[in-house]
Amino acid sequence: MPSPTVALDGRGAEQGADTLMIGARAAAADGISLRVFGDAGALAPLAELGGVEVIDAPGEIANTDEPVAAVRSRPDSSVVMAAADVAEGPSEALVSAGPTGATMTAALFALRRTQGVRRPALSVQLPRPGHSRPGALFLDVGANTEARAGDLVQFAYLGSAFCAAVLGVERPRVALLSVGEESGKGTSQIVDAHATLGDAEELNFTGNVEGRDLLGDAADVIVTDGFTGNVALKTLEGTARTIGAAVSDAARSNPMAAVGGLLLRPALGGLRREIDPDNTGGAILLGLRGVAVVGHGSSGAEGIANAVRLAARAVEQRAVERTGELLEGAGATRGGLRRDRNEE
Amino acid sequence: MTTLDRDQVLEKVREHLATELEIDPARIEASTRFREDLDADSLDLYELVMELEDTYGVKMSEQEAAGIETVSDAVEFVLARQPA
Repeated sequence: MPSPTVALDGRGAEQGADTLMIGARAAAADGISLRVFGDAGALAPLAELGGVEVIDAPGEIANTDEPVAAVRSRPDSSVVMAAADVAEGPSEALVSAGPTGATMTAALFALRRTQGVRRPALSVQLPRPGHSRPGALFLDVGANTEARAGDLVQFAYLGSAFCAAVLGVERPRVALLSVGEESGKGTSQIVDAHATLGDAEELNFTGNVEGRDLLGDAADVIVTDGFTGNVALKTLEGTARTIGAAVSDAARSNPMAAVGGLLLRPALGGLRREIDPDNTGGAILLGLRGVAVVGHGSSGAEGIANAVRLAARAVEQRAVERTGELLEGAGATRGGLRRDRNEE
Repeated sequence: MTTLDRDQVLEKVREHLATELEIDPARIEASTRFREDLDADSLDLYELVMELEDTYGVKMSEQEAAGIETVSDAVEFVLARQPA
C-alpha cells in the first residue's frame, strides 16, 4: 500500500521553519509523502527531497487572530490551503503546529464533521511511565469548553475506535474523568453520560477514574469536557517540568547527590523522553471526515515528525471510517442519542 | 442565470439541516428557529452558511451570519444576494 500523503502547514511552528524542515525531513525519510504549504523560498530545501512538494502559501494566521474570521477571510493562508488540500483530495491528512484555534477551525470547515457527530474532540495520548501498554487516549483537551452528556458519550465512542484502530488496543477500557469512582459522582453531564455508557454493549466502559489515574493503568480512553481536559493536561505538563527541574537541582546540590544523579541519568533520560510531549507529536481532532493533527505549540523537530507519523498512521488504519462505523453501529450519532432521550 | 425560487432555496436549507442534524425534514419550516427549535449551534449555522455560499455563489460576512436566526432569514439572504 502506498504511504499516505500528508498536508503540512509550513508556517506557525513556534520554533521556526528550520525546526519544521528537520521534522519534515525525518517524516519523509520514513516514506511519508508530504505537501508542505508556506513560504516557498524559506522551505525550498524541502522541495529537493523525494516525495516532498512545497506549495507557496503567502498568508499566515497568527495566535492573536480570531480563528473563524481569519479562516473564512484568508484562503491563501498556509493552514487554510493545507486543509483544503485534504478536502479536495491531493492530501489525505492535515498537520499543523500553528495556532490551535485556527487549525481546528480550518479543519472543521474544510473537512466537516463526521455525519452524526455534534462536537469533534481534541485528543492526546498521555504517557504511561513504567508500563508497556500504550498510554491512555485523553479527550477532549480543548476543542469544546463545555460538553453535554451526549457529547461525552460520543467522545467515548470516538476515543475507543481510535484507540483500537491506531494505538492497537483491543477492547480499550473507556472511563469518564470525575471526582470519584462512584456512578453518582460528578457534574450532571458526567452522571448522565455514565448512565448511557453503562448500557453501551459496543464499549468496554469501566466507570469513572480520577485525576490521579491519568498516567496510571486504570483506562485506555479517558473522557472529559474540553475545559477540564485542557486544565488537566497543562497541569500534568507543568508538574512534569517542575519536578524534572527540581530533581536536576537536587542532583547538583552536593557531591554525593551528584554521584547519585550520574548513576540515575540513563534511567531519568528514558523517563524524560517518555513524558516529552514531542514523543506523541500532537493532538488529533476526532469526529471529522478526515484526519487532522494539531501539533504541540512548541513542537521540536521530533514533535513535527511524530505529528506527521500519527496522521499517516491514522490514514493507514482507516481511523475516520472506523470511528464513523462504530458511532453509526452503536446508534450513538446525534439523531440516535436524541431518539434514546425521547424514548426515556 | 435562472432566478432562484424561494421554495427551491427553502428545500435546499431543509435538506441540509435534516441531514446534518439528523431530524425529520417535516420539522423544518420557514419560521423555524435554529437554536431554539432545532437545537443547532454556531457550528451548525456556519456549516449551513458555507453550504449556501458554495451552492449559490453568495458571500456572507461574520456579522451577517450572526444575524441569521431562522430558516427564513437564511432563505431571504440568499434570494436578496443572488448574482444578477
